[in-house]
Order: sequence, then structure tokens, then C-alpha cells
Amino acid sequence: MNGISEKFNHIAITTVKGQEQSMALMEKLLATAQPSAVYSAPVTSGDYTIITASEVSAGIGFGYGLGGGVGPKSSEGETTSEAEAQETQEQPSGFGGGGGGGGAAMARPVAVISVGPEGVQIQPIVDASKIALAFFTTLGGMVIMLSRMRRASRG
Amino acid sequence: MAQPEGIIRWQTLSGEPITVGDVTITPQSQALIIRLPFGGLVWNRPVAVLVEHGGQTRRMPIIDITRVVQLGLLGLNLAFAIFLVLSTRRKTKRGVK
Repeated sequence: MNGISEKFNHIAITTVKGQEQSMALMEKLLATAQPSAVYSAPVTSGDYTIITASEVSAGIGFGYGLGGGVGPKSSEGETTSEAEAQETQEQPSGFGGGGGGGGAAMARPVAVISVGPEGVQIQPIVDASKIALAFFTTLGGMVIMLSRMRRASRG
Repeated sequence: MAQPEGIIRWQTLSGEPITVGDVTITPQSQALIIRLPFGGLVWNRPVAVLVEHGGQTRRMPIIDITRVVQLGLLGLNLAFAIFLVLSTRRKTKRGVK
């Protein structure tokens, strides 16, 4: 039974290490909630100093699995070799564990803060492609709704 | 770093002040933190900067125009859907009478 507990301990230790790594990753993720993740370091050029402000989002997910079991003792007739016969004096057992995870991060510039001779100015950054995509999606949604309602009222 | 107290946390934080000449800028951000046993999500956005100049402090909001337009279009779509549903019900009621 010592072999079984050794195997189980090894798997458990590996899983705990994995969990610790995931927790460390979570701490790094939480660091993106700080203002320093959103505002860039100031860049100075001539009389102007520029700071970019971005929207940042990040997410991670992870999971673990651990399992095992002990099988029935095999009878003497089923063994094929001496080595196997010695092994089967103990109950056959199997343990396994695994884990996986994934994540994504996204950043989008929102505005530029400029400090110059005119004072502090905030210039917004407009993402034209996102707006166009939202506009056409809205338009498509309206056309589909209108056509369905017309069909329903006729029927 | 401070640990989040709950599963979902909404916080506004001020960053390190940046001094440029005689102007001091303090950036502010708003973060949504969702912490789960199997992962987490952080959404952080800039909200405003506090500008300190000549002993006076003023708050300059940072407006995300792209997000405002997106939400406006979404609202327009929802309003259109509600209008269509209401107008169809009225027509159906008139037809029944």
C-alpha cells in the first residue's frame, strides 16, 4: 500500500503546485485592476507631455481533476511472468490528475491626455470600425424585426 | 496589494500623481473585479483625471465616445423593438374590436 500512497502523494503535490501557480496568476490578473494598467507612462516631446488612457479587460479560467482507484487482486492463473506475479501481490491501483486553463486580455485606447502650453486637454479616441459595426448590426436588427412584425400582422 | 473582499467588486482608485511643470495630474480608474474559485475577470477603465494647477483642483472626465455610441445604438434598437411590439398589439386590438 506504500506504493499507492506515494503515487497519490505525488499527484496531490503536483496538483497543489498547479493551484499555487493559478493563484499567482490570479494575483497578476488583479494587478490589471490598478490605475497603472489603464494609464501609460508620460511621454514628453518638446513642450507637450502625453499620457494615453486605455480600457483594459482580462480574464482567466482554470480547472483541475484528480482521481484514482484500487482494482481487485488478480488470481495466480492470470499472471504471465514472474515479475508480474510479484507485482500482483499488491492490489493493482491507478491514480491520475490533470489541469488546464486559459485566458484572454484586451486593451483599447480611449483617450489621450496632453499637457502643454494650452493646459491640460483630453482628446477622445474614436474607434470608427467598432462604431460602424455597431451601426450596421443595429440597422440589420431593425430591418429583421420590422419584416417579422409585418409578416406576423399579415398572417 | 489589497485582496478583494467579495466575488464581485466595483472600485474606483486613484493612481500615482504625475507632475508636469506646475501641473499635477492624478489619474482615476474604475474597475470591476469578478473573482471565482476557477478563474476571474477584471474590467478596468479610465474615468477622470484630477488636475491641480495654481492651488485649484478640477476634475476632467474621460468620456469613451466609442462606448457611448455603441450603447446609444443598443438603446435605439431596444426602443425600436418596444415600439414595434406596442404598435402591433394596438393594431391587433383594433382588428379584434
